[in-house]
Amino acid sequence: MLTCDEYRMPETLDDALALMERHKDRYRVIAGATDLLPATRAGRLGDIHAPMIIDLSRIAALRSVAVNAERVRIGACTEMARFLDAPLLARHLPVMLHCAVWFGDDQLREAATIGGNLVNASPAADAAPPLIAMNAVVTLESRDGGTRRRRDLPLEEFVTGPGTTRLAQGELLTAIECDSMAGYGAAFEKVGHRRSLVISTVCVAALVRVDHWPGRFVDIRLAIGAIAPVPSRLRECEEFLSGKPISSATIGAAARLVSARVQSRTRRAYRAEVVVNFIERALTDAAVNAGVAFDDATRMKEVSHV
Amino acid sequence: MSSLELDLEINGRRIRRTVPAHMRLLDFLRDELNLTGAKEGCGAGECGTCSIFIDGVLMKSCLVPTARVQGKKIETVEGLARRGELSPLQKAFCRTGASQCGYCIPGMVMAATAALRRNPHAGMEEIKESLSGNICRCTGYQKIFEAVALARDVMNGMLPATALDAEVLGDTFVGASVRRLDAPSKVTGALKYAADMTMLGMLHMQVLRSPYPHARIVALDTAEAEAMPGVEAVVTHRDVPGVDGFGVFVHDQPVMARDKVRYVGEAVAAVAAENLDIAKAALARIKVRYEKLPAVFDAFEAMRRGAPILHDTARDNVVMHIPIRRGDVEHGFAESDVILEETYRTQAIEHAYLEPEAGLGYVDQDGVVTIVSPSQNVTHHRHALSRILALPINKVRMIMSPVGGGFGGKEDMIYQGMLALAALKTRRPVRYVFTREESIVATAKRHPFVVSYKMGVKRDGRICATSMYMVADGGAYGLSTEGVMRKAAILAAGPYNIAHVRVDAIGVYTNNTPSGAFRSFGALQSEFATESHLDMIAERLGIDPIELRRINGMRDGAITHTRQQLDSVSLMTVLDAVAKAAGWEAGAPTVRGETRSDLGAAGNRPPCTLGARLKTRETRDSWEVA
Repeated sequence: MLTCDEYRMPETLDDALALMERHKDRYRVIAGATDLLPATRAGRLGDIHAPMIIDLSRIAALRSVAVNAERVRIGACTEMARFLDAPLLARHLPVMLHCAVWFGDDQLREAATIGGNLVNASPAADAAPPLIAMNAVVTLESRDGGTRRRRDLPLEEFVTGPGTTRLAQGELLTAIECDSMAGYGAAFEKVGHRRSLVISTVCVAALVRVDHWPGRFVDIRLAIGAIAPVPSRLRECEEFLSGKPISSATIGAAARLVSARVQSRTRRAYRAEVVVNFIERALTDAAVNAGVAFDDATRMKEVSHV
Repeated sequence: MSSLELDLEINGRRIRRTVPAHMRLLDFLRDELNLTGAKEGCGAGECGTCSIFIDGVLMKSCLVPTARVQGKKIETVEGLARRGELSPLQKAFCRTGASQCGYCIPGMVMAATAALRRNPHAGMEEIKESLSGNICRCTGYQKIFEAVALARDVMNGMLPATALDAEVLGDTFVGASVRRLDAPSKVTGALKYAADMTMLGMLHMQVLRSPYPHARIVALDTAEAEAMPGVEAVVTHRDVPGVDGFGVFVHDQPVMARDKVRYVGEAVAAVAAENLDIAKAALARIKVRYEKLPAVFDAFEAMRRGAPILHDTARDNVVMHIPIRRGDVEHGFAESDVILEETYRTQAIEHAYLEPEAGLGYVDQDGVVTIVSPSQNVTHHRHALSRILALPINKVRMIMSPVGGGFGGKEDMIYQGMLALAALKTRRPVRYVFTREESIVATAKRHPFVVSYKMGVKRDGRICATSMYMVADGGAYGLSTEGVMRKAAILAAGPYNIAHVRVDAIGVYTNNTPSGAFRSFGALQSEFATESHLDMIAERLGIDPIELRRINGMRDGAITHTRQQLDSVSLMTVLDAVAKAAGWEAGAPTVRGETRSDLGAAGNRPPCTLGARLKTRETRDSWEVA
């Protein structure tokens, strides 16, 4: 159980940062609470007492979304559900639409936040691979002697291992900024023990921009989660495919480049096989979503898992 | 700890309360307002038994800090039919029989309500996705999906409102949708399960459990816990006045550990206190000194000479050995053309009923010790408790509360004894509600089996002899192991005519979590081995697997391996029906080609996908609407 002496719900970011400065080491920040509350049950972290809980849910600025030319800026407390129902996000971040569908369930998506998913830094975090694929940068803010401080860090560098990040004492992840991917075909693939509400065994995010004539890949973004301590970008695949003609053979060859990367501690052989199939399927689906037509046999293979 | 002043609206009524600042919304609803329609199935956001609306958005209330709902509008299942008239969805759940144990149903009704509020024309795939955060363990979901589709069609005027009325029954109940009398109480959340019940002056129980798989209890000191203000009693084995032992067949498990603990999670002491926080704090003040003993976790190792002994009453660690002998298997193997040997293993399985164990115990005005609990075995428990308490049977009463799923897992008297002892000691009502974690740690699992199989057959498929040596891990206590071994053995060789049969089913004590009753009671494990083995024989002989079963299957008048004469045997009818329903392609497993026409047919389950809503939204092209 999570208990506290004081439960604070600041209305502004400034107030939140001020509380964090004043109560160094004595607070716990909660956003969606979907990770922390289950974690404080018996058998996991057990009972946790925080002198102060700082609840971010009242800070409207942490939910704002802005699109500025090529980049999209998302407030850290944007709930995962917004990627499904906010048209602006869906247009600029098509991959997040597919990611959000696989994330928890309707009810958890209304609570869980994008920033929380990143700070929690699970190797299986669903939101990390798509954001890494979109060159995401996280904004970390703090207050020091009454002065607001801000630094930006590429997401790929932010997560350092299972449950660990570069977030410093007194810092809050306030926003995520990434490329606008309007016009890309997108796909997100995830395998877990059952269909919904499940932690990823492997997850893959793919974004594909194609030149329909003469049928070539123009830009590929591919990232994978849950096969290593931190999610990673698959640049060898991206480079391999860039400029190549679109065919299932090229996609297959690109996917096979990745199997050596699997370094999970458990079920490595299984994950390696899954990873290759998944990347193949994600790239195919992303290309289909970009308007590419494959022959039926390729599609059937993708759909029926045989 | 700080408190919090709340002012909010719940089911159309304004509520003002002061609550502890860290309180979860689920506890606020259940404990402060007695709105027990929302249940706690897991407390971790997995199961959906606690789904409610906050400002019109469906949420899992176990993951919502109460502080967040200040000033908001909350709707619980109790709010759906506040004026007594069920909503169309609730009526539809009743009409299709979409409630069995009912524990998931309030949450399920809320999720279904959310699905149709969001999209009154939701298709089946979208409905399924909308309910995907809510788990049901009994109904198999089909009737629930039917209910949502039915309500949708009635609400859209596609079907008349009378479509929600109970079916008018003809001469037979078979094939008809019979009205379930308890359905309205389940779809409204009105039905009280044990954890939903309260009594005036009720105490709360918490249990100290063993951290070791096998250890001697050298010292057990409860004085400090008992001295705490708010603690009414601490009970241990010392409080047991009668013969301390329960179990469906062998009464080898004490109410709480006596001289030693035999598995991780075994109850050692229980506290009854004014509230849960005090009870939990008191557990930390109970001092237990253990002397660790060598433990055994494998059934075969437990049977070896020199293995740690769990119970003095079974120096060989064998709970029960059921042998069955028919004919002479060696002779049968000698006359066989083909002999196949294989080993099959099954695992321990948790029942995972949505209702964690809970019970309420009190001594009534006539001195009758009364236990209200979702027991699947009340009469047996009553007799057991009377022996344990050394009370005449008329001074012990068991009331079966609605069972929120049991599947055999609630046949064992795991906690009722502690409630009785605490009620006797305090003379106050005492309630104990398991967390999901406690339920998994402390209660019985399905028996894991290792089956060594040997079968001899003629080339034409006739079985000459079957030999099965089955060893089951019974865990630390006997519970139902004896019965499970018996049923596994009796049904082991399957419904097949075999002249020579040798079966051994051996249940063994280990320091694992006790194994107990679980749907099919041992038959699943041995049948899994038999049917797998027959499939492999079919492959070896090049015979159609269904044909192989027809060749050997018992017919009317057959005599079983335990000498029971069967007047009528429906096996052939069942085989024909299964083959037809499955779209079975006749032929040996070895001759099947690359393509299969039996997959993807009507009634077959298609592969799983998500994103039904994305597809409907994409086709509606609504993304550009800002």
